[in-house]
Amino acid sequence: MYRLLFKSFFRTKIFLVSLILLMAVGMISILIGKQYLIKQEKTIITAQEFQEESIKRNVAYHKDDLGLLLYYLRFTLIKKPTNISAISIGQSDVNPLLQAVTIRGIEGQKYDTDFENPSLLMSGNLDLSFVIIYLFPLVLIAMTFNLYSEEKELGTWRILAAQTSGRVSFLFKKLLVRILFVFAVLVCLLFMASVMLQIQMDQNFWALFLQSILYITFWSALCLWMVSLRKNSSFNALALISVWVVLTILIPAMVNNYVINKYQVPEALDAMLEQRDGYHEKWDLEKDITMTGFYEAYPQYKNYPVPEDEFSWIWYYGMQHMGDLAAKETSAEMTEKIMLRNSISENVALFVPTMHAQLSFNTLANTDMISHLNFLEALTEFHKNLRLGFYTKIFDNKTADSVIWANHKAKFYTLKRDFNWFYVLLPTAFITLIIGVFGVLNLRKL
Amino acid sequence: MRRNGIFLLARQLCKDAFRSKVMIMALGLMVFLICFSAYSGWENYHDQNYTRDAVQDEVQASWENNPDKHPHRMAHYGSFALRMKHVLSAFDLGMENFVGNAVFLEAHKQNTVNFSEASMSTGLLRFGEVSLAMLLKVIVPLLIFYLGFATIARERENGTLKLLIGQGITRKEIVFGKWLGLFGLSLIFLLSVFLVLLCFVLLGSHDTMQGGSLVRYCVLFLSYLLFFGVLGAITILVSAFSSTAKGALVKLLGIWLLFVIIIPKSLQAMGYYLYPTPSKIEMETAVEHDLSQQGDSHDPDDPHFNALKDSVLLAHNVDKVEDLPFNYGGFIMAEGEALSTAIYLDHQERLYQVYTQQNNLERYSAFINPYTAIKNISMAFSGTDFRSFLHFKDNAEAYRFRLAQDMNKLQMDFIPNKGKVGPNKISSQFWKEFPPFEYHFMSISKVLQNELISLIALILWGFFMFFGLFKVATNLKAI
Repeated sequence: MYRLLFKSFFRTKIFLVSLILLMAVGMISILIGKQYLIKQEKTIITAQEFQEESIKRNVAYHKDDLGLLLYYLRFTLIKKPTNISAISIGQSDVNPLLQAVTIRGIEGQKYDTDFENPSLLMSGNLDLSFVIIYLFPLVLIAMTFNLYSEEKELGTWRILAAQTSGRVSFLFKKLLVRILFVFAVLVCLLFMASVMLQIQMDQNFWALFLQSILYITFWSALCLWMVSLRKNSSFNALALISVWVVLTILIPAMVNNYVINKYQVPEALDAMLEQRDGYHEKWDLEKDITMTGFYEAYPQYKNYPVPEDEFSWIWYYGMQHMGDLAAKETSAEMTEKIMLRNSISENVALFVPTMHAQLSFNTLANTDMISHLNFLEALTEFHKNLRLGFYTKIFDNKTADSVIWANHKAKFYTLKRDFNWFYVLLPTAFITLIIGVFGVLNLRKL
Repeated sequence: MRRNGIFLLARQLCKDAFRSKVMIMALGLMVFLICFSAYSGWENYHDQNYTRDAVQDEVQASWENNPDKHPHRMAHYGSFALRMKHVLSAFDLGMENFVGNAVFLEAHKQNTVNFSEASMSTGLLRFGEVSLAMLLKVIVPLLIFYLGFATIARERENGTLKLLIGQGITRKEIVFGKWLGLFGLSLIFLLSVFLVLLCFVLLGSHDTMQGGSLVRYCVLFLSYLLFFGVLGAITILVSAFSSTAKGALVKLLGIWLLFVIIIPKSLQAMGYYLYPTPSKIEMETAVEHDLSQQGDSHDPDDPHFNALKDSVLLAHNVDKVEDLPFNYGGFIMAEGEALSTAIYLDHQERLYQVYTQQNNLERYSAFINPYTAIKNISMAFSGTDFRSFLHFKDNAEAYRFRLAQDMNKLQMDFIPNKGKVGPNKISSQFWKEFPPFEYHFMSISKVLQNELISLIALILWGFFMFFGLFKVATNLKAI
């Protein structure tokens, strides 16, 4: 029975078209992922060279003045690339891969962006996650919308019904053949991606794998349910495409609009101003004001003299730090707002499999908002360690020779995120089950 | 071809449509979506501009409130430029949320425009955004296809097409009548959106900065009118060429997917693949490299600046820079600023050329994809395309350059050279005299120039479709 069903399915036009379409676009998406990884690698090498070069050059220029030297020098913290991110590029094209910072105020540096073509950002990356989320359901719809109605419309249903004992199980099998085909293509593409992009087969990969399978199962269940309503082909096509538009375009976009409008982040602009003014106003104020604040934060430097009538580096870097302190609260509020945006989106996504698939792909590939916020936190810590490492030497008026520059290579930050298997898999599984049960119950009435 | 026949058929199509469930559902959905996107579009425009306007005022106030100080301190104090939204951004969000909103303007350094909405958003942003324009570009075309796929194909299937022709109605009347009916239906959506938009434009036009928004509005209206005409024609053509209504529907759905999702996205991806761009750190490396070749004012042994020093000393007939009639530090910084800015802008220009190459692939596809044409026209005239962003960015950079150079000039004129007597500060009056950052949107003629390709493509589509309708009308198969 199955052999015949497969055979007849393989002879259909839609089989060939969807096989070619999915494989071709899938391959393109993997290549795009590959190019994304190569670009990252190139950027990292440039950043490493840049840091080494600029240290060498500036050390030569400002050998005797460590304070001035460190005014110029930039130190790089890089997100360690993970190959799985090439499957779901997510927000990692909007947010920079690395940040090169001086030991001056961090607030004015940490939100600097990288260059990316906004047209590309707007249209989004054609990565494998896009192919899975958008194209696979379309192919499923194209293959199943007339599963029953076509037989009915061509008049073959009556013959079939007369010849087979289980009409329902026949439809099931016919559907199953198509679903299995889509699954086969999906699994094939995922494994191809894992080979071509050299993705580690760790639990993140398997979670992503299972999430993809579940997501396609969800659409299969939806198609089954639509078939079970026994409407005509035109209605099915119309309804399924409408559902697709609602689920992949309208609802996510509306939720996004809502979240962006409801939780605006004027704090970003405020923090930017506060940092600048917090630093610059100190130039015109008594030095004590700066130093009191600075000693409060770092009492270990209390014994350094601050000459009243001339410039000193301890005062300068103290003022810089005051800028950060002035913006600290607003900056934290901004982060909180962004977290709020994230958690609201995630909560809504629990009920919408398309959104959930995208967000969990991004989480598993470490390309979501939270990953970047964690990086920013690590950057702040990195900056703090740098400053504290250099402060003593600067305040002691040491020369550039006192620092072992070989130790100051670009540093990597490894993203460490845990995820909850249930959280990733359960929502879609649950929704799929409900729709599937309705579909099967409807079909039984046939 | 009689006009009466056409109108009769068009009216009939509309009447039938209103009896169908699809139209009722579509209407209900559209009313909801229009309300939602009008509200969220206006809210976003209004709130964001309100915040940014307030911040921009604050920036100016704090600039003016600085006490007497050395002008170079002010050059480092710098300023901020906030990107204001065009009132039509309430209609088409375009790239609004993917480009930065605020840039810090200081001496010696071109900062990136930061805090784009995208950088503060979750991955959901990639599903797209709902705006009035998005409804017209993405959802309404689908509705037009839904409403029109059966027009001719089903009449033929049912045999009523034969009857119509038999009753003396010409084929031309049938084709154009059906087209007119479908176009009329789509006008319901178009007019309701543009009515809402007219209110926005009128509400926003008290702002002097929003000049030309009525002209922009008119161009948008005409473009969408033409676009819907083209879509109606595509529907009728596909329906006329399909033997069954079901076949027509499947074809139209395929066309919609190709036009709206697949072609634009894959061409954009292909552009990205074909023309790789450098990352920021790569460009910075290149800029620093060029700077060290042409003249680095930070390098004490730089040949360019040493030569400059000698020639200045010679011109003023003095031996030491301290004896020059102007502040030498200010002079060197002005030179350095001019040089480094020129080099930076040169590299930036090259980067933007690569972006243009990346985008051109999709832009020129307007000739095979009317959606691309309307998308680009819509963004450009709403002031939300990449060019509009660059226009802001260029203005901000020009302001930054002027700020830095004005401060250098003040230093040259009023600050004594090292070792000479004189005040190390100048009056705060000078800060108040420096004008605030003001942004004016791109002129309408410039926008027209930028989008010429898309406009030509859309007009060509109009011609082709009209021709296509004529053609199909002459040899429409009745059975």
